[in-house]
Amino acid sequence: MDPYSSLVRAYFARPEHGGKLAAGTTALVAAQGVRIELAATCDGGRLQALRFRAWGCPHVIAAAEAFCREFEGAPVAALEGFSAGAIMDKLAVPVEKTGRILVLEDAVRALGQKCRASAPD
Amino acid sequence: MTGGDFIYLDYAASTPVDPQVAECMQEHSQSDYANPSSNHLAARRVHASIEQATAQLASLLNVDPATLVWTSGATESDNLAIAGAARYRAAHGRHLVTMPTEHKAVTDVFQVLAKQGFEVTWLEPDARGYLRPEVLAAALREDTQLVSVMFVNNETGVIQDIEALGRICRERDILFHVDAAQAVGKLPIDLSVLPVDLLSLTAHKFYGPKGIGALYIADRPRCHVEPLLFGGGQQRAIRPGTLPADLIVGIGLAAEIAATRLDSDWQHLQSLRQLFWDGIQDLEGVLINGDLERGFPGILNVSVADVEGESLLLGLEPLCVATGSACNSQTAEPSYVLRALGRSDLEAQGAIRFSFGRPTTREEVAYAAAHYRDTIHRLRELAPGAAA
Repeated sequence: MDPYSSLVRAYFARPEHGGKLAAGTTALVAAQGVRIELAATCDGGRLQALRFRAWGCPHVIAAAEAFCREFEGAPVAALEGFSAGAIMDKLAVPVEKTGRILVLEDAVRALGQKCRASAPD
Repeated sequence: MTGGDFIYLDYAASTPVDPQVAECMQEHSQSDYANPSSNHLAARRVHASIEQATAQLASLLNVDPATLVWTSGATESDNLAIAGAARYRAAHGRHLVTMPTEHKAVTDVFQVLAKQGFEVTWLEPDARGYLRPEVLAAALREDTQLVSVMFVNNETGVIQDIEALGRICRERDILFHVDAAQAVGKLPIDLSVLPVDLLSLTAHKFYGPKGIGALYIADRPRCHVEPLLFGGGQQRAIRPGTLPADLIVGIGLAAEIAATRLDSDWQHLQSLRQLFWDGIQDLEGVLINGDLERGFPGILNVSVADVEGESLLLGLEPLCVATGSACNSQTAEPSYVLRALGRSDLEAQGAIRFSFGRPTTREEVAYAAAHYRDTIHRLRELAPGAAA
């Protein structure tokens, strides 16, 4: 049985949001043998651009890409609605990897805090 | 061998059945299907074909056919040799010796025996994976009954000095078992001169069918095994059960073919491994797990420490290779073999075993080397710097 869903395969093979931003806010979280760095530029309370860099299994990389695709252009406040469970369902991530996807959730929260601190409402 | 949508570089795990072998087995299954233990004309034909196959394998190993016992494969042969010999000689002593770099089919049997009152000494290899004869000699005791060391390591390709290790055991009347699953049909093995008492092998590593293997039991005093299975009395009751004649015919022919190809296969594999290594050796941080000079050329195990193993494996598709990691979803457990060689968790976890075979082409290997480089670069670019 293929351990990866078609979305995980697609996002892992072509992570369009993989990389760094020239400027903006970054948040790096390392835990569970995983490192995830999220970067954002914010304008008018919106996430103008999102990028990620990740060291981890294919599910982690795909989850970071899925996050960027979903939240790019969204209000910064929307980050509070990010849920590891929702992205695991979307990508069909096995339950044993919950801890690794929670690292992404921590990184999203850290990014939200930094964005709000750098551009308060 | 390209399977349409993949490139197979996992010949240490299994090989395709040689077309001649497949044809021979197919014909035999249609013409000679009687139970070889029956006593009629049809059964005698099957019995004769089994005898011929036994002689073919015996010829490859240069042994008396009567010293070979058919099994379902190397795992069963290892179990029968180790547990069977340890129990047979238990009245004389309960000390056993092996290495942590052995295959699980060996280490797990020793773990079970340790729980049954046997004492097991685990000998560490040197940094390249070799067991030094003096290390073995120092570990042996008056009550040592069995030593088990594999011929060619399945993860690293390291070839142990079986002659030197066996001589040490023979001098002390200690049984010497060799797991030769990765060696038989690939390098010359002459058991008429090698001091080996028990040797395990399996057909599917040398272009024979899956489900058939053998255990060689030397015809020497106090060299015997207690059976693990009972009922039927076949094979002198050492391993009873109806013999799978079609599979035995297959392994026999595979052995005969291997005997004619040992040199040419070796040279082919050597040239492929060198081509692959030439293509990746300047990659920053790449390490060889094993011995390029003296190891089996069909296996090249390489590590990079800064790339996650599971992502590397997926990124390498359509290459079919083996990861150094057990890599279940809960814990990306690094290879116990590579850890025993002193590799860090990260180095072991990022290890990939490329293994080549008869059908492998230079084009496939050149592509594989380039794809390995590209995948490493891509994953490195995607990774953030180490956390502060």
